[in-house]
Amino acid sequence: MGGSRNLIGMTAALSPYRAIDLTAEIGGLATMVLAGLGVDVIRVEPPHGHPSRRRGPMLRDDGESSLYWAQMNAGKRSIVLDLDDETDRESLRRLCETADFLFESDAPGAMAVRGLGYDDLRERAPQLIYVSITPFGQSGPKSRWAASDLIGHVSGGLSSLVGDPDRAPLRPSVEQAYNITALNAGSAAMIALHARHTSGSGQHVDVSMQAAMANTLGNARLYYEMDGIITQRAGGARAFADRATRIIYPSADGYVAFVRVPASMLRLHRWMSADGADPQFDAEWWSSIAIAGDKLPSEAEIRELESEIEAFFAARGSQDLYESGQHHGVMICPVNTMQDIVDSPQLAAREFFQQVDDPALGRLTVPGAPLKMSATPWQSRPAPTLGQHTEEILAATAKNGDADHV
Amino acid sequence: MSDSDGTGADVFRGIRVADFAWVGVGPNATMQMAFHGAEVIRVESSHRPDTFRSGGPRPQGDGSLDASAYFAKFNRGKRSVAINLAHPRGAEVAKRLVATADIVTESFAPGFMQRIGLNYDAVRAIKPDVIMCSMSMEGQTGPHAGYRGFGLTLQATAGITGVTGWPDRPPVGTGVAYTDWVATHVGIIGILAALDHRRRTGEGQYIDLSQFEASTLVLDAGVIDAANTSRVQGPLGNRDLQYAPHGVYPCADDHTGGDRWIAIAVTDDDQWRRLALLMDRQDWLESEALCDASGRLEQQDDLDAGLARWTSEQTVAEVENLLQAVGIPAHRASTVRDAHDDPQLGHRNHWWQSKHPVIGAMSYESPAWRLSETPPPMPRRSPLLGEDSEYVYRELCGYSESEFQQLIIDGVVE
Repeated sequence: MGGSRNLIGMTAALSPYRAIDLTAEIGGLATMVLAGLGVDVIRVEPPHGHPSRRRGPMLRDDGESSLYWAQMNAGKRSIVLDLDDETDRESLRRLCETADFLFESDAPGAMAVRGLGYDDLRERAPQLIYVSITPFGQSGPKSRWAASDLIGHVSGGLSSLVGDPDRAPLRPSVEQAYNITALNAGSAAMIALHARHTSGSGQHVDVSMQAAMANTLGNARLYYEMDGIITQRAGGARAFADRATRIIYPSADGYVAFVRVPASMLRLHRWMSADGADPQFDAEWWSSIAIAGDKLPSEAEIRELESEIEAFFAARGSQDLYESGQHHGVMICPVNTMQDIVDSPQLAAREFFQQVDDPALGRLTVPGAPLKMSATPWQSRPAPTLGQHTEEILAATAKNGDADHV
Repeated sequence: MSDSDGTGADVFRGIRVADFAWVGVGPNATMQMAFHGAEVIRVESSHRPDTFRSGGPRPQGDGSLDASAYFAKFNRGKRSVAINLAHPRGAEVAKRLVATADIVTESFAPGFMQRIGLNYDAVRAIKPDVIMCSMSMEGQTGPHAGYRGFGLTLQATAGITGVTGWPDRPPVGTGVAYTDWVATHVGIIGILAALDHRRRTGEGQYIDLSQFEASTLVLDAGVIDAANTSRVQGPLGNRDLQYAPHGVYPCADDHTGGDRWIAIAVTDDDQWRRLALLMDRQDWLESEALCDASGRLEQQDDLDAGLARWTSEQTVAEVENLLQAVGIPAHRASTVRDAHDDPQLGHRNHWWQSKHPVIGAMSYESPAWRLSETPPPMPRRSPLLGEDSEYVYRELCGYSESEFQQLIIDGVVE
């Protein structure tokens, strides 16, 4: 496929490739990551714009300056096509002939009804890797079920491990089920790209949100299969088969995450002593105690240890605990807010945040590379305005029926 | 899905991965390549075994390093070589292995690979077009590069824990090593992008993956919002910023041995009317305020209370069926048993059987995707520690039989 787009002096890893993005929120992150790696991602929008353009949070109080859109569509181009209109559907099919990937998230069968299914396109675009992202997959007893991020989350089982025991199972208050699913779709698309190098042709990739979430269960499902144990949510703790180990402790200004693993106990003792506390717990003994298995401390012994740790943590700020604890080799982390992430000295030193000039929102500070590639760096680019690239894309496909981009 | 003709095993045929990574993120990434024919060689040592080899579950009473099903979950389809990297000659063996590799992965604390003479510059000197990927907690550079942690604590740094909880209580986090399942895919995408670049240009490269940075991808617009406005999103329980009602509601005891919950997400106004109709709530149907999401968001305390009363009189299966029959997003809050027995996951053959000489027969997860033309064959079981040492030392690293025996005697092969 065509030439490369060289935007910052070095070519991005996937710059020869093009993706057509027809997804709803469940798929946006897949193509966003590919765009950062250089893929020419073309976001196909209806004439009134993609629904997530109207989705908060907004930069200004105007209902149309969506930061959600800016984040999830960074680096993509936008074309307006009315897929209810056969002329535009034909334009999309022509565009598919120039593309390497198509990502869609309609209900199984819905694309085929419009003559845009995998089987409709494979003859005209045999090179196309057609990625379908749905809550439950393309077939099976739940494939037609109504769903959302919450439904995907609970259907894989993770919510049963999340939350306080005296209240309902929880979901994280971000659409992580959608986003993990999209990242799975990105991995699958890359495997299919390599398969194309050997087979010469594209294929249909069927990604399931339920399956993506089912793969996050850690060892809990294995404990059910082997020992019949149904691990349950345990609040701010790691439920480990039928026991739980505390993770979350209050600090002076928030919370920290600390797990009582044997390797940390001597260091914890040293740190507390060095920091003016007078730890009473027997560090040698706690270092010899496993967090699961045969040799376990009693509830009272754990309670006593935790109250000492609690008092020490509660007198200090989260970021201070992070710096001084890590300095002593203790695995402790702050429970960061979104603001703490923005203010992180680590992210600042690595120049994680980038400035982009968004055509609609102006100068924005955006999260940058999720990985640093030495020869083919990540590209931070803004999201497109509605239909920003319609004319140039249609002109290029009309002029160049067979292959080249832009 | 069409039947496999075996081509799924050819996708990465001829690609060798020297895998120095351990625990979740790295091994899960390289396993996806192993499924498709890459020769992935885990570099292991009984002196510093992968933490997961000591984990559970495992057959009753078997404390051996080969008995962990958790290790098996992340390492199917791979080989294992024992190299004691702390031994002076261990690094020499590792260098010979690296010289045959296309991809080198590692997740040690930054600095370790340099100490044993295997940082990227050294590896590149041995194998110029190598792709090397380091996957540490917070990256190779910066003031926190040496900071320690694992998925259970890193999710706190990465902002996941802080948005997981009830607004009136401390945050709880996800209870699993959540970031492992995010960073692993960023790793796969990055490594395969670099491999594609190498196929076209012959150029290798170094990838510095920070699990912290990669994991912020799942935070939607939370970070970009905080970076450009004065807002900071916190935990919402099970509520949502744009939809209502949206929650997880109690159901009647169905005698399956635990509490039962149903998740319900009303994501448009038609679903709302169907819900009110189904529940026979004339007052909800007639309320103009409740016709759109903004009105429902204002009254969600009442809506949640009404829904909980309705769901708690029925079993989770009954509510699930009633709601899905009229197209309202709903699903039981699956337990690990529900996930294991789920008919939809069963339809996809999601749990792949694997027979292991120590662990026995178990099922493990498969990828969340299905490939129509190149499905992978069932992977080989996970390796015993050092199971492929002779192959690696003799055939790949080129040691003679007597040299190999000497390395065993010297304590390098352990």
